[in-house]
Amino acid sequence: MPNVVRRLLAAGAGALGVLAAVAGRPSPRVAALDVAGLAGEIERETDHVTALELAAWIRDRKPGLRVLDVRTDSAFAAYHVPSAEHAPLSSIASMKPADDETLVLYSEGGAHAAQAWVLLRSLGFRRVYFLRGGLLDWMEDVMSPAPGAPPEAAALSRYFGGVPRVGARPNESATADSTVARARRRGC
Amino acid sequence: MTAPFLDSGASALGAALGIGVAFGWCLERAGLGSARKLVGQFYLTDLTVFKVMFSAIVTAMLGAFWLGRLGMLDLSRVYVPETYLLPQLAGGATFGVGFALAGLCPGTSCVAAATGRIDGAAVVAGVFLGVLGTGVALPRLQSIYLATPRGVDTLPSALGVPYGVVVLGVVALALAGFVVAERIERLGDRGSGLGDRERPDDRVPSPDPRLTGAQRG
Repeated sequence: MPNVVRRLLAAGAGALGVLAAVAGRPSPRVAALDVAGLAGEIERETDHVTALELAAWIRDRKPGLRVLDVRTDSAFAAYHVPSAEHAPLSSIASMKPADDETLVLYSEGGAHAAQAWVLLRSLGFRRVYFLRGGLLDWMEDVMSPAPGAPPEAAALSRYFGGVPRVGARPNESATADSTVARARRRGC
Repeated sequence: MTAPFLDSGASALGAALGIGVAFGWCLERAGLGSARKLVGQFYLTDLTVFKVMFSAIVTAMLGAFWLGRLGMLDLSRVYVPETYLLPQLAGGATFGVGFALAGLCPGTSCVAAATGRIDGAAVVAGVFLGVLGTGVALPRLQSIYLATPRGVDTLPSALGVPYGVVVLGVVALALAGFVVAERIERLGDRGSGLGDRERPDDRVPSPDPRLTGAQRG
């Protein structure tokens, strides 16, 4: 290639580079979100853990586990899952992924935690889950498990200072209203 | 309507094939189907690889930036691979060792094989064996593969500077690199008694300084 052409190309690249420095952002968002991949995870239900799974993880001291409460300050102060840290939604943006951590997010019913899950995945977090049914499921399934619950539930409940409802019959423990409310907050 | 136009499906695969063939043709026209020319990079006798690859990076970067800035390309729909720092550093080092040993990288080995070079075909076979072996061992390597994740990390986000400033920096780095590369090549040519116009594409680089001295006479 003749030297003149090479110099012209170099000058063109240099000029475009200088202009780029003052041209502003090329598009509103530069980072891409793997929407199809996230949708697959939601469909396969690998995006969340149940209250009993979380309780077992905490009891077994799962390495790298961090339980994050995304509710308000006052709600966190009133009650929170043992070992949980307070991480309001406003703090999500400044979080950095760590390879040895497993994050479990929870909110009152699960909606805010699920939204925080999407935000953290978009920031590159891999091992992050939300608590299905939120704190309400924790209170029902761990702190006060109904008869008919898995055998492990009573042991976990006692571990966390809960009171298993061992005396009631299964059909007494779940009214139609409570079943509907539970299905609604789980959202799936 | 803005690019990219094809997200998936047969048409996207067809476009990928077309782009791949065009890329291979460009590599071949740049002389990068020859292992001898490629290993010249490591002996600092022929820096064509550096110049071709950096030209491609600068062209693609300026194209992506300005097409995005002019609203013709939606950069948010362009896939950016996630960064896993240590695994990717180890992968880069392994790639470098393989490149120096074979004299070809995956792309140029396909070009070499397509132009009938036996060493190219051997490297392509090695690449496929490596891919197969990695795929089989992947469940066991999962923890290594996913170590030190940094999410979708780009130079602007990692350095905390605007995208356009990074573009300017990379262009300046490339232009300075081209000047230095040409000087290194000229020094090598003077040392071997060859002028700019006499430098053959397939010159065998000699790693042995005694041999080089003997050639100088």
